Amino acid sequence: MSNEEPLIKVEHLKKTFGNNEVLKDINAEVKDGQVICLIGPSGAGKSTFLRCLNLLDQPTSGKVIFEDKELTSLSEDELNTLREKMGMVFQQFNLFPHMSVLENLKLAPMKVKHVADEVATAKAKELLAQVGLADKADAFPASLSGGQQQRVAIARALAMDPEMMLFDEPTSALDPEMVGEVLKVMQDLAQKGMTMVVVTHEMGFAKNVANQVWFMADGYIQEKATPSEFFAHPKTERAQDFLAKVLEA
Amino acid sequence: MKKAINWFKAALVMLVTLTMLVNCVSGVQAAQAPKATDNYLQKVKQKGELIMGTSPDFPPYEFVKNVNGKSKVYGMDIEVGKKIAHDMGVKLVVKTMDFDSLLVALETGKVDMVISGMSASPKRAKSVAFSQVYYASGQDLIIRKADAGKYHNFHSFDGKAIAAQTGSLQSDLIKKQAPKVTLKTMDKDSDLILALQTHKFDAVAVDSASADAYVKNTTGIINIRSGFKDKSVGSSVAFHKGAQSLVNAANKSIDEIKAKDLIKKDYLPMAGKYLASNGKSKKSAKIDNSMWAYKDFFVAGVGYTLFISLISVFFGFLLGAILALMRLSRNKVAHSIATAYIEFVRGTPLMVQLLFIYFGLGLVVNIPALLSGIIAVSLNSASYVAEVIRSGINSIAPGQTEASRSLGMSRTETMRYVIMPQAMKNIWPALGNEFVSLIKESSIVSVIGVKDLIYQSRIVQADTYRGVMPLVITMILYFIITFSLSSLMKVFEGKMKHE
Repeated sequence: MSNEEPLIKVEHLKKTFGNNEVLKDINAEVKDGQVICLIGPSGAGKSTFLRCLNLLDQPTSGKVIFEDKELTSLSEDELNTLREKMGMVFQQFNLFPHMSVLENLKLAPMKVKHVADEVATAKAKELLAQVGLADKADAFPASLSGGQQQRVAIARALAMDPEMMLFDEPTSALDPEMVGEVLKVMQDLAQKGMTMVVVTHEMGFAKNVANQVWFMADGYIQEKATPSEFFAHPKTERAQDFLAKVLEA
Repeated sequence: MKKAINWFKAALVMLVTLTMLVNCVSGVQAAQAPKATDNYLQKVKQKGELIMGTSPDFPPYEFVKNVNGKSKVYGMDIEVGKKIAHDMGVKLVVKTMDFDSLLVALETGKVDMVISGMSASPKRAKSVAFSQVYYASGQDLIIRKADAGKYHNFHSFDGKAIAAQTGSLQSDLIKKQAPKVTLKTMDKDSDLILALQTHKFDAVAVDSASADAYVKNTTGIINIRSGFKDKSVGSSVAFHKGAQSLVNAANKSIDEIKAKDLIKKDYLPMAGKYLASNGKSKKSAKIDNSMWAYKDFFVAGVGYTLFISLISVFFGFLLGAILALMRLSRNKVAHSIATAYIEFVRGTPLMVQLLFIYFGLGLVVNIPALLSGIIAVSLNSASYVAEVIRSGINSIAPGQTEASRSLGMSRTETMRYVIMPQAMKNIWPALGNEFVSLIKESSIVSVIGVKDLIYQSRIVQADTYRGVMPLVITMILYFIITFSLSSLMKVFEGKMKHE
């Protein structure tokens, strides 16, 4: 676990949708084992940035380097292989509704990695236990609560043994009483050493779990700091403004 | 619909002419055979068979009869055809189709000759070559018995309507000689008789021999002399334009038929025997016109309809899925091809597509009627299925694709394991609809002589001189098939529900 080489590195990343320049010039790197929380006002480009990391969105220009490979220049096949190493969790869970919870977890390992059925099943059950849903293996997603669905989604991403996890506002679509159970799972994951990039509005989570907080606004990363630094002494006016509004509420 | 065929035929003749012109100009086949030494006869002899086209709803000329469990075409025209083939030293093969399709079939080489009680009208003589007349009979009008004495000939119908078979000599005679009479036409003689019985009009113009046969076998109708001056007098054998060698051979056979008076002595009595009997066992008994006696016809029809439908559903779905994926593809060429195909096929009638495949493509490759039918119905269904599948795929939220791709699954795996199963569930009822209408629309293949349920019901109508009963049975059979299918689809729909 050398902390010298970054796991993923972004250089001069730009992304435009039509005339809308969402990401203007992003430079950043994440080291193995780091937990990064991306915070900032909505429309800042946090989700777009996250989706550019695994190329769900194709960057307009700039480089994304993961494991010494420049992702934007890779073929479709090579990209598929790298994507499986970056698990992703979505705001809307996006579980596959036509499959049971267990099948949701087994699908990608079996089809992509050609893991044997028994091995995939055992692994899936272990992961479900880890997120506290061992009894829901045979349930269908529609019968689960939002919090349960999101925990299944996390387990599904973990089933591919990813090297890092991307979280895109994982608790924003949840009822307040379910936010805690999902954050708890994420915190456990962080403690086990998982590299994580988390777009979130949960300031408490950022304070307690993140190694670094990146503050994004207007298409740039305005500040990178440790949580204690950032929350105590935000440097930019933009961040001071944002924190004032968020913490007031 | 009738008009559509005629229009299409006109267009097709133009196409044929054009193709010939192009061939001539390009010089590919510029070597035109001298008149008397064309190689048509030689070709037939090489094949060892002479293919005769006929429309078997015209007793006693030609009709279908179930004898000893086998349905076959009988009639005096068949005997004439056999004689001609025999004199050429080859086997006679009979192909059946709608009267309207016969000449197109001749022009496109689907058949070598047409014998179907057809008279050599000047208009027809422009596009085909006719033999001498082999049989001449007068023209009659069939009327309801209740009207006996009320009508005497066509002059009695001034200001009223007389009906005749579409494209027939009789319809021409009415147009030319009876300007004060309204002409009504239908495809089938059996339909005309049925319509007469149900008071849709008061008279049907048919050939005398045929009229005698109908009157003998149908209660409540009689025939009277028509009063038409008929210059074309009688039926001739039609051949491909320029097939002088075949015409000469046929004329020789007809000379002999006439010299020995074979038609009156042999052919008509033989036809009458088959017409009156319903299998050997009931030679003298009352004719069994019950529908049960014709169950084999309906069973065969259901068989063909199911066969065509099942194969077409399979290929229609397969091709439809491919087209849907092509249309959704980022590849512009694939997208354009699929879009053009879908829009074009959905924007043209299935009947025209069918006729085009059978007759139009028939100019290049000879596709049998059954295969043509299956191809046309499959290709047509594919365009509708494609749109249903496309809408199904579009109905799945993009988050599903994103989740799947983020797990490392490829575009194809995502489509196969994540999108398609969900899309199928959403479109299942619409697909069921499409399959049901495919089964019903497959009935169009009867036009080119595929022996499906509709075709069989026509035969039974012509054979039993009963119009309504075969229709009722056909309706019930179609309903049983389509209802079974939709029930089956519902069972699967239930299985796809996830709680």
